[in-house]
Amino acid sequence: MQTVGLTKRFGERTAVDGVSLVVPRGAAYGFLGHNGAGKTTLIRMLLGLTRASAGSATVLGLPVPAQRAEALARVGAIVEEPSFYPHLTGRENLEIAAAVRGPETRSRIDQVLHRVGLDKRAGDRVGTYSLGMRQRLGVARCLLSDPELLILDEPMNGLDPGGMLEVRRMIRELVEEEGRTVFISSHLLDEVEKTCDVAAIIDGGRVIAQGSIEELVADRAGELVIECDDTERALSLLAGDPTIRNLRREHGGLRMSLVAREQAGEINSKLVTAGLVVTRLEPARRSLEERFLEMTTRLEVAA
Amino acid sequence: MTTLITARQMIWADVLRLRKKRGFIALVLAAVIAPIVIVTGYNVIQHASDPAAHAPAGGLHNYARLLDMLGVFMGPVAAVLIGAEAGAGDLAAGVFRDNVITGRSRLALFLARIPAALIVCLAVTGLGFAIGLAATFGFAGGLPTPSASLILESAAWLALANAVVCTIAIGVASLTGSRPGTIAGLIGWQLVLSPLLVQSSSLGSLRNGLLDGAVLFLKPGPVSGSPAITMSVAVAVLVLLVWLAVLPSLGAWRTRTRDA
Repeated sequence: MQTVGLTKRFGERTAVDGVSLVVPRGAAYGFLGHNGAGKTTLIRMLLGLTRASAGSATVLGLPVPAQRAEALARVGAIVEEPSFYPHLTGRENLEIAAAVRGPETRSRIDQVLHRVGLDKRAGDRVGTYSLGMRQRLGVARCLLSDPELLILDEPMNGLDPGGMLEVRRMIRELVEEEGRTVFISSHLLDEVEKTCDVAAIIDGGRVIAQGSIEELVADRAGELVIECDDTERALSLLAGDPTIRNLRREHGGLRMSLVAREQAGEINSKLVTAGLVVTRLEPARRSLEERFLEMTTRLEVAA
Repeated sequence: MTTLITARQMIWADVLRLRKKRGFIALVLAAVIAPIVIVTGYNVIQHASDPAAHAPAGGLHNYARLLDMLGVFMGPVAAVLIGAEAGAGDLAAGVFRDNVITGRSRLALFLARIPAALIVCLAVTGLGFAIGLAATFGFAGGLPTPSASLILESAAWLALANAVVCTIAIGVASLTGSRPGTIAGLIGWQLVLSPLLVQSSSLGSLRNGLLDGAVLFLKPGPVSGSPAITMSVAVAVLVLLVWLAVLPSLGAWRTRTRDA
């Protein structure tokens, strides 16, 4: 899936501003942003629910909205929250969805109900389902057409920790075992970090960063974390090194900023030569949450 | 072939969602059947208590009243309820968006609503007609009863009258996206405003364009009385066709263009 300069304006307000994304096949892609950042609007444009003001998009290599029908036949999506007829059972809701999808999908109903673990509750009215069950039924509906791409808008919203774990596992299985591409929009940074391989961060309608989770959380300034058998000696040994900045104790070890990553080897050698046993030496990782807050305008406003 | 199978499945899927809404179906059945049962029951009791003063509850005279109930009053009310649910039920439940993101044509989604609603509407009308017919014959006593040809003509007229209203309700509900608005607007129009306009002779031939006037004009002969408006059959059919073309077309247009 790819977008180039995709823009959506509502009168004077620009909800999505020239967004260019590349979603690789066979990956879980996180689309991160605060509420109101433009995530759902972008998804709605990709699915042909609303027209773009400018820019272009391709889904599974097909331009949308020009070849929307062909593209969406291979896509399963949940926008905002999965909606069902509450007076019908889970199975009946899937029968209705299968009827719209096409005759070949009806035979997959039992399979997808089993896949999301709802086969035993399929005969119950959806009005009696918990939110987690409705989310799973929504995923089941997405899977009816055996899609190559799933687009899930805030799939963890309102779920308890157990429900989140279930959905996370399901998404990883869809990617790793079934080779599908899953595009997830979320404001839950921790969940995206745990679930996705690649992510983009959107703020105020603009994509401000995208790349693998590793790249996004990597410390470009070159922060290093060290743990050894004598932290105090290590601290005094490194304190006088002019190439090390911002040296400090952290969680029983040391953390510092380097001028260049190559210094890590020299520091290790210096500590080992001094007779210290180094048990950990690695580039510092910030959480996606820290990185996200660093980048988004809310932090700027707060500062 | 696949398109036909899909169309058939979509229609039956819509029938499923309508017929499984138990409270709604109970309301529709009550709207159609309850008045027949109440009026017939009342007449039966009256006739039983004083046969000299009150005629039997069945026969041709009561059959004419049955047709009015089913074709002019409560039948169209049920048709509006069914049409509104068929036209805007998926929007209200939020499922319309999920149907759109399958890539299925929005026009196909709209078109599937019409036969589905008509199946339910005609089934309900048919049930009401069957009950009324049973009362017409069962409680006729010595009164004349309708002939087979009149019954067939009446059945066709009832089907036409309620199908037209139901289809228009689908169009309006799809256009507005609102079930309550459609129900209030169309029932108000059908039961209050339109009958008043039909009776307003000052409107002259403008009344020919009213749906009610055309429907009443086509009511089968021996039980119809004198229609308030006279027109040729061709004009009556044309009026029905215009109503059927305009409002459902607007509904289809809105279904295709609305943000889902």
